[in-house]
Amino acid sequence: MNTRSTTSATDGDATVDGQSLGMRPVAVIDIGTTLIRMAIAEIDPAGNIRRLETLSQAVNLGKDTFTTGEIRKTTIEDCVRVLRSYQRVLREFQVESPSQIRVVATSAVREANNRLAFLDRIYVATGIEVEPIDEAEVNRITYLGIQPLLQAEEQLASAQTIVIEVGGGNTEVLIIRGEDVLFAHTYRLGSLRLRETLESYRAPLGQMRAIMESHIRRTVEQVAQHVDLGQQRELIAIGGDVRFAASQLLPDWNPQRPGRLSIDELEGFTQRVLSMSEDELSRTHHLSFADAETLGPALLAYVGLARGLQIDEMYIANVNLRDGLLQDVASDGVWTEDFNNQIIRSALELGRKFDFDETHALQVAELSQTLFRSLAEEHQLGSRYELMLYVAALLHEIGLFVSSNSHHKHSMYLIRNSELFGLSESDVLLVSLVARYHRRASPKPSHEGYSSLDRDRRVAVAKLGAILRLADALDRSRSQRIHEIQCSRDEGRLIISAPHVDDLTLEQLALKQKGTFFEEVFGMQAELRKAAD
Amino acid sequence: MGRVPTKYINRELSWLEFNQRVLDEAGDGATPLLSRLMFLAITGSNLDEFFMVRVGGLQLLDQQGSTKTDASGMTPQQQLASISARTHRMMLEQYTCYLNELEPALADAGIRRVRPAELTAQQSKAIAQVFESRIYPVLTPMAVGGRDDFPLLINQTLNACVQLEAADDEQRPRFAVIPFGPSSSRFITLPSEGGYEYMLLEDAVEMFADRFFPGEKIVECVAFRITRNADLAVREDLASDLLVQMEHLLDARTSGDCVRLEIGDGVTPATLRFLQETLDVDDVNVYAAPGPVDLAAFFQLIDLPGFDNLRYEPWPPQASPDVDPTADIFSTIARDDVLLYHPYESFDPVLRLIEEAAIDPDVLAIKQTLYRTSRNSPVVAALRKAAEHGKYVTVIVELKARFDEARNIEWARSLEQAGVQVFYGVKGYKTHSKLCIVVRREPAGIRRYVHFGTGNYNETTARLYSDVSLMTCNEELGADATSFFNAITGYSQLQKFRRIEAAPIGLRDRLLEMIRSETQRQKESGRASITAKLNSLVDPEIIDALYEASQAGVPVRLNIRGICCLRPGVKGLSENITVVGVVDRFLEHARIFHFHHGGDERVFISSADWMHRNLDRRVELLVPVDNSRARERLLSILELYFKDTVKGRRLLSDGTYVPVNPANGARPFRSQQRLYELTCEAVKQARQSRPTAFEPHRAPGHSST
Repeated sequence: MNTRSTTSATDGDATVDGQSLGMRPVAVIDIGTTLIRMAIAEIDPAGNIRRLETLSQAVNLGKDTFTTGEIRKTTIEDCVRVLRSYQRVLREFQVESPSQIRVVATSAVREANNRLAFLDRIYVATGIEVEPIDEAEVNRITYLGIQPLLQAEEQLASAQTIVIEVGGGNTEVLIIRGEDVLFAHTYRLGSLRLRETLESYRAPLGQMRAIMESHIRRTVEQVAQHVDLGQQRELIAIGGDVRFAASQLLPDWNPQRPGRLSIDELEGFTQRVLSMSEDELSRTHHLSFADAETLGPALLAYVGLARGLQIDEMYIANVNLRDGLLQDVASDGVWTEDFNNQIIRSALELGRKFDFDETHALQVAELSQTLFRSLAEEHQLGSRYELMLYVAALLHEIGLFVSSNSHHKHSMYLIRNSELFGLSESDVLLVSLVARYHRRASPKPSHEGYSSLDRDRRVAVAKLGAILRLADALDRSRSQRIHEIQCSRDEGRLIISAPHVDDLTLEQLALKQKGTFFEEVFGMQAELRKAAD
Repeated sequence: MGRVPTKYINRELSWLEFNQRVLDEAGDGATPLLSRLMFLAITGSNLDEFFMVRVGGLQLLDQQGSTKTDASGMTPQQQLASISARTHRMMLEQYTCYLNELEPALADAGIRRVRPAELTAQQSKAIAQVFESRIYPVLTPMAVGGRDDFPLLINQTLNACVQLEAADDEQRPRFAVIPFGPSSSRFITLPSEGGYEYMLLEDAVEMFADRFFPGEKIVECVAFRITRNADLAVREDLASDLLVQMEHLLDARTSGDCVRLEIGDGVTPATLRFLQETLDVDDVNVYAAPGPVDLAAFFQLIDLPGFDNLRYEPWPPQASPDVDPTADIFSTIARDDVLLYHPYESFDPVLRLIEEAAIDPDVLAIKQTLYRTSRNSPVVAALRKAAEHGKYVTVIVELKARFDEARNIEWARSLEQAGVQVFYGVKGYKTHSKLCIVVRREPAGIRRYVHFGTGNYNETTARLYSDVSLMTCNEELGADATSFFNAITGYSQLQKFRRIEAAPIGLRDRLLEMIRSETQRQKESGRASITAKLNSLVDPEIIDALYEASQAGVPVRLNIRGICCLRPGVKGLSENITVVGVVDRFLEHARIFHFHHGGDERVFISSADWMHRNLDRRVELLVPVDNSRARERLLSILELYFKDTVKGRRLLSDGTYVPVNPANGARPFRSQQRLYELTCEAVKQARQSRPTAFEPHRAPGHSST
């Protein structure tokens, strides 16, 4: 998998809006637990990002969701007001087309019971479509944001690097070596969540720290399982709270580069912060009350994690979700080759875990890819789907690990419940369904998972499943003897020609069995022929 | 007064010394006559505001029995006593200057006050006519029985008090008051053979007073004026330090809010007693004027047509050689930062920035702070035009009083009608920063052109005040300026600044940090220095930091035009600090700060003085000047003020000022004059180095150098 499609992915062509010399103004808005932040930037034709403006306004989303499970009406209206004011700023920069703006919401919105009411109200009032992003997507975006830094710092490029962000709702952990993401997970440990927990305990002040530490310890134990403590480790802390601590502790820190902070110092500072009231904090450090509230719990979590991972010094990086989002927008929503490889490596990792036939899997994946590209006219799907097909092809048989009976269903189940770095929850669902439909029944509305998809995605599943069946049939021999294929169309038939193979009976038979679904979906028969040598 | 001097000079007394320095200018025989009269009028209007705001506040505290001491250790009562004594002395000097020097000299020069006894026949006829047609119909005398029916007099407006002879059956004389009203002209022009002759309104009223009281015998008719405690809106800005203590007292205020009574010194004891009793004025607050009451009125005479020989020769603002009049302002700024020093250099490039932005097709938005500007301001016109051209224009206006009369905000409304988004200040803070941002789309991307200033966007004061303008399109400054603007308009929380600082958030801390870092460097390396130019230095925390710097051996040089509460030259406290003030024809208004910073010199311009109100209650900016040309220029400007041996005055540790004398044999040096000459020389030089030459168009690729 080493090409980049120039046609853009599923949602909307990111056209260049006639800006001067191809400078494209874009904006990303991140609806977080305590703040709605916006970054406006310009992207040059080479994809370089220049930040123009950064704005933030406080909202109570996290407080609402993490206490009552629901976003209050007044909070929703606050969000509307904030977004409307941002729209005026956007108009100033002539950032008005939806392709120039990406608006995402994280845990506080995602976890709210009235999430849909929230999204609808925002859409009605502002025309903005907010995209609630799941944890995997946050991981992916964080990875995009941190990549430039990893590449720039030699020391980080080689070590086992643990990236941690303690947010208001969640703590995000990425373990990276070089370009490989070894592990990515999001834990329900957040500064605001901790704060709300304390309030629900109505604990006396003296015990607060102990309660928080016990919460933090649970997460630390889980994280530690994934870290090789025998190896050299570097920790990169990102997030507003730790950045604030760094600005206080490292007066000469230039935020353009990562700073280095000793955990002892951070712990001392955390101690001082926890001993101060919110009023004191906001007065002495010019912090907003919302920030003053979460600073102590967040820092305590960082210290706990660093201690648990036996780390004495950590990097502080001025990287945030908006950086990753901008990178994402800069690439026009097309995943970079690098990133695709990341996802494929992660899929191979998973396949190996279930002892799959790696050569067959790779063969089917490559054949699927070739077919996908040959059928571009017919399926009209973007490059992102190509990647998902590739991943589904790699993993289509992992269900054999459980049982050879109905192994396609086991494949689906295993994929759905695995961590595939870089794929969002809905992407993973789609991959799992494509894998499922590599044999037996074609998709039915009663099928679990399939029924929950929107129409576009249902159609995509069918198309990809049909292609996968063809590819699988082409390697029925499991000998990888068919590897160079060419496709042509002849009177409503898809002619697949394979050179260098004398006897294609086995594959032709398989194709006959498996091609029905393809014909149903694409309205054309698939035929395998021997190519003239 | 037997008090042990404290670390700080009392701010009111320091202010009075500033006014004294202005008065010294009125007394300077080398200054043209009408310009001297202007300085005298300034001392008068300065005192008016001082009494209304500062003295009024202190009196209120004193009446409530407050014994809380200020930073200099004085109670309100002690301060009031000192102020009264000092002001009485000053007033004597004002009138000595006026009566003994200015009035006779002006008369010699052809500007003559005519008293009733001196009228020619023709003039008598004329004044009688004026009285009948223009004065008598508008003035209304009010008979006063006592306190209860005393009319409500307008603050700082002239009145006549008329004492009428007691009727046969009465014991006591009767009194009446004739308020002159704010619109009556004080100077009545008389026909004359040459020059300008005038009669003062109070003289005319006295002449014809019997017209108001037919059949009565007039004992005396005397001019007087009262000063009231300022209303809250004015005080919020000018006396915020007192306000904190005063807030709960304001409601408890009784009728007696007359802070000062000024009256002609010929007044009879009976009339004076009557006024003092009815207005509830103590003896210390009575100021008897040996000449015309209200010297600020003489502002009306200083622009008298003709008589140019009696005024300063004009020093017209020069066009900055750094600004090419034929190129558009954006390319000029894009080439290099532009630093302007007004009023020597014209304010036009700043206006051009806004005016060109208004019609430039690539400009997307303009963001602007406006502090006390006027209806006819070309800035306002340009902003309106920009909005009409479809630019996004956002303006923060700061009005003198928040709920000013309709006419004062009319121009702001007209901006709104044109589609400008107008913010009426920031809640709780006065927006004092001077900032204009122009967002422009260029081939290489969005570029922000920023103007930072130390003075208001007011083309009139820009001709009289010395101020710095910095125009730049530096990326970091542009980003900071935008963050700042987004924060004060509520579009965003404050983002971390890269280069600038703002009050009320980080400006104070940054200043303290800069001062303390010099102290530290002095201790470590023996090399440090602080030089600053500002209007006022009051803030105790900053002063203490400067004291510490002095004690560590840091040479501290301060050029402070107005109040300075720092006591310089005290052994063990401040012997390394010198303070000089310059009062000359232009009002020194720029704030420029310089820190040696271990050789990596730091220069800032700022809208903020080092006062509590600026650092904590106003929105202000501190802007680094990193462009080396601009920085060098600012430093050389700053240096001139410390060399001034003509208008420079050095502050002594007792709070008084002495002239800075030229070293033996040295020629007198006047900083403002030198600045004007330097500016003209630079313009001339630029013209010469750019001789008129024909520049042929060359084929591309040929280097002309």
